[in-house]
Amino acid sequence: MALLFKDPNKISAYRDRRFPGTQEEYENALQTSTTVYIGNMSFYTTEEQLYELFSRAGEIKKIVMGLDKNTKTPCGFCFVMYYSREDTEDAVKYISGTILDDRPIRVDFDWGFQDGRQWGRGRSGGQVRDEYRTDYDPDILLCGYGKLVQQELEEQRQVVDYGVGSLGSFQPSHMSHNCEFMTCLFNDLNSSSLCTFADFLVLQMEDMEEEEEVVVVMVMGGPTDMVEEEKNPRFREHGDSDDEEDDRKRQK
Amino acid sequence: MSSWRSLILRIGEKSSEYGGVIDFKDHIDACFGAVRRELDHSEDEILTFLLQCSEQLPHKIPLYGTLIGLLNLENEDFVKKIVESTQKSLQDALDTGDCNKIRVSMRFLTVLMCSKVIQPSSLVVIFETLLSSAATIVDDEKGNPSWQARADFFITCILSCLPWGGSELVEQIPEEIERVMVGIEAYLSIRRHVSDVGLSVFEDINKINKLHVEQDFVEDLWSRIQDLSKNSWKLESVPRPHLLYEAQLVAGKSHDFGPIICQEQSDTPVELSRLNFGRQKHEAELKYPQRIRRLNIFSASKFEDLQPIDRFVVEEYLLDVLFYLNGCRKEFAACMVGLPVPFRYEYLMAETIFSQLLLLPQPPFKPMYYTLVIIDLCKSLPGAFPAVVAGAVRALFDRISELDMECRTRLILWFSHHLSNFQFIWPWEEWAYVLELPKWAPQRVFVQEVLDREVRLSYWDKVKQSIESTPALEELLPPKGGPDFRYSSDDGDKTEYTLSKELNSMVKGRKTARDVIIWLEESVTPINGLDVSLRVVVQTLLDIGSKSFTHLITVLERYGQVIAKICPNEETQIMLISEVSSFWKNSAQTTAITIDRMMGYRLISNLAIVKWVFSPSNIDLFHITDRLWEILINALNKTHNRISDLRKEISHLKKSVVKAEQIAATAKAELDNAENKLMLVDGEPVVGENPARMKRLKSNAEKTKENEVTTRESLESKEALFERALEENEALFLSLYKNFSTVLMERLHETFGEKTLDHVGGDSEAMAVDEEDTSAMDMDKENGNSKSNVGYTIGEKEQWCLSTLGYVKAFSRQYASEIWPHMVKLEEEVVTESVHPLFRKAVYSGLRLHADQ
Repeated sequence: MALLFKDPNKISAYRDRRFPGTQEEYENALQTSTTVYIGNMSFYTTEEQLYELFSRAGEIKKIVMGLDKNTKTPCGFCFVMYYSREDTEDAVKYISGTILDDRPIRVDFDWGFQDGRQWGRGRSGGQVRDEYRTDYDPDILLCGYGKLVQQELEEQRQVVDYGVGSLGSFQPSHMSHNCEFMTCLFNDLNSSSLCTFADFLVLQMEDMEEEEEVVVVMVMGGPTDMVEEEKNPRFREHGDSDDEEDDRKRQK
Repeated sequence: MSSWRSLILRIGEKSSEYGGVIDFKDHIDACFGAVRRELDHSEDEILTFLLQCSEQLPHKIPLYGTLIGLLNLENEDFVKKIVESTQKSLQDALDTGDCNKIRVSMRFLTVLMCSKVIQPSSLVVIFETLLSSAATIVDDEKGNPSWQARADFFITCILSCLPWGGSELVEQIPEEIERVMVGIEAYLSIRRHVSDVGLSVFEDINKINKLHVEQDFVEDLWSRIQDLSKNSWKLESVPRPHLLYEAQLVAGKSHDFGPIICQEQSDTPVELSRLNFGRQKHEAELKYPQRIRRLNIFSASKFEDLQPIDRFVVEEYLLDVLFYLNGCRKEFAACMVGLPVPFRYEYLMAETIFSQLLLLPQPPFKPMYYTLVIIDLCKSLPGAFPAVVAGAVRALFDRISELDMECRTRLILWFSHHLSNFQFIWPWEEWAYVLELPKWAPQRVFVQEVLDREVRLSYWDKVKQSIESTPALEELLPPKGGPDFRYSSDDGDKTEYTLSKELNSMVKGRKTARDVIIWLEESVTPINGLDVSLRVVVQTLLDIGSKSFTHLITVLERYGQVIAKICPNEETQIMLISEVSSFWKNSAQTTAITIDRMMGYRLISNLAIVKWVFSPSNIDLFHITDRLWEILINALNKTHNRISDLRKEISHLKKSVVKAEQIAATAKAELDNAENKLMLVDGEPVVGENPARMKRLKSNAEKTKENEVTTRESLESKEALFERALEENEALFLSLYKNFSTVLMERLHETFGEKTLDHVGGDSEAMAVDEEDTSAMDMDKENGNSKSNVGYTIGEKEQWCLSTLGYVKAFSRQYASEIWPHMVKLEEEVVTESVHPLFRKAVYSGLRLHADQ
């Protein structure tokens, strides 16, 4: 459909230089990915707002907020993962450039997480990929009184602090130990893929301008979980062969 | 883009390629000149691109047709190829049932006929082929009338060509076209009138004296074409650029158009039972859906003096642009507002888009697409379109009590999303009167649900600010508070408070799920009982996971096993859901998400969700909030998604098995071949090249065989899962309908009285349902239900019944494909003779199974 106006093979102008493959492989990854990158978000935007908006394109598997490394608070971008490719494409088609929290957000295909990508060097927070900002500057829409009210309202909002609370207190050093232990436990219960952790992982991304964008992302699930992403069923199925395969890999 | 390309692409547009002016003659001349120059170098590219443009920009077909007519004078061979590939693609489209392609190809051929590229009689041959196929389909003996949707589609295609070439056909071959028209008339007399009860956006509860039967889509189009014919085939909406070149075009050579074949409906059982007929009809309607169902929400004055046929043509243009330019926002908006017609059509455009947003059973694209469409058009036509959209909202709001439940949900989702893109500005004061209506009045529920969705997309204070002009509406905002954690203070039960604290510190102290289970089993449950354990665990874990969606997932992934351990059966799972619902009573969204995730982790079964939704305290909320319906819809969707995934995986694996078999067979053959050769040269010391090769072949044969076996095994295991999923699905729908039937039975009888029951016995099903319908209407009449906005006087029980029946119909329609395989059992066990006729009517109309079959 609508082949006249876009080259379906060029679905992203960006090339993430961290991608460990050729340009061809990169494009292939984008064309099969079920992850979208969302940029130019308000720092106040919550996962629940994202869920409400993005679930209108399809069932959501995960949301990964981009966090500022130092403050452990959202810094304007995130990743949303879907179950199906079709829903992923619809999210890019129908949501990119529309307004969320008074800001035109940008939605792009992302090549998806792979083991190792999350271990980067960190320097600063913030996002770079925001080409819509100049097109639809919300400050132009909101001027005078409206803007003041807007600011006042925003100031009353609280950003979600991902750095405190019962779940945030896990240390990465405990990870491998816990992982093994829980795998065994869940094997007994015949539903092993529940082996995951909340953890703060450093994620590094680079954009076209080769400016370094360093962010901290709260990632659900260990690296293994992410590699197996495609196999993640909508339901955890007792005795599902995929899960058993995962188990074997984890135990090795 | 080279210049011939952009000239072809931009023809007829106010674009820089054509100096920003629209003059068809100039455009065609310029484009023709450029294409003619390049034809020798890039014939193939031009051919492909021209065909692509005529398919994907069908509103420009008359221009492309004329261009091709002119090229025919220069290069007959090139145009011959165009005709041949059109013939091929039409045949492909007919074989695969590609409706859009069939329709557009036929329009293209009509225009080629106008430009003398093909003979008018060739076109008539195509018409007659489709006509005879249609007539066969609806023939009781030779055909299969359950596939009437396909026959109707063929007739629609023929009629749709006439605005583009009717005048030429009548002028050049009057007798032949007359024969086609007579044939269509004959077809119309044998086909069945299509009743849209199950698919109409508005339920006709107010049309008490509905004497005339409304025309269905084919009848309607037929009468528009009759009007066109009476008007000497003159219309405003189709440009006729070929007339500018009439003198030249006559000299062109007409090309032969190869025959077209319509495959017969393969599935033609001798006798169709009622259910079999219904199921096949459902299948046919899915494959050949009706393109549009007019909403008629604007008064006729908004359409000026549009001829009926012009309205049809503009709708065709708009639907084509919506379809072909999905995903290209800029081009889409430009095409939508720049159609080649000499009149304004904003109202028609808005009505067409809303008709798609609300199209039943499914719009061609996700409803969210139409949100984007409306946003983009508001930006493209800032002076005109927003007001028209607002007018559509008001018109739909005025009829909200008649609106189908599925449509109402789509409207709520669209409207909240739309407003979130326009700073939540809406003249809420207009709707302030809903506060005076009872809390179950559909208008009031609509406002409340829109505000709830707005809060989800934004935040409470922001939405509060947006209703500043009507502060009283705050009453309809969802509660502002966050979670309602039972143990946030020690005011309540001290023991439970302490246990919760203890559990919290176990989580903080990184205790494992197993540690927690041991703690519960050894020191909590034996002393305090299971109820307390369940409450403490669920409340505490929800509190820990309350900060965000990710926190919730984390806690469920880490401690889900604890919940699974204490909620192993339906009964305890229902308690679990109740606990979730009470913890998140201030947030419909988080309640729904939490239940959805718990179902995802198999902590809750879909059956438990159904049972909980139909628990006594929830039933009373059916007509005043959507929150329970959302939870139920999520559960059905998730189950459905899962089955769809399995279907896809199985079909994929089946292909893999075939492929693996082939590869293994080839490897085996190669090995056999090599072995045979060895035997032939037996006796001689053949050490040479062969042992290594043999080894390789052998290992390859083994490996490929192994792969074949594994693939087959995974197919088998998926098939087993699928079998089980089907069984679960059957149980789910049986339970759903049983629950509906039970809760409706008593209330329907109470509300709609004995009168209904008197009419049930003895009559045919059709009679019973019809009379029931009338009695329901009388009821409304007695209650003084007038159509005025404010005068909503439907009693609480009636509204409860109407809302619940509305959902019965909506669910039946949406999951019809999943329900049909279980229909026999459903009729045996649930939708029996003894159910209330209104309930049966809702189920049947949702499934499009009519009593007259």
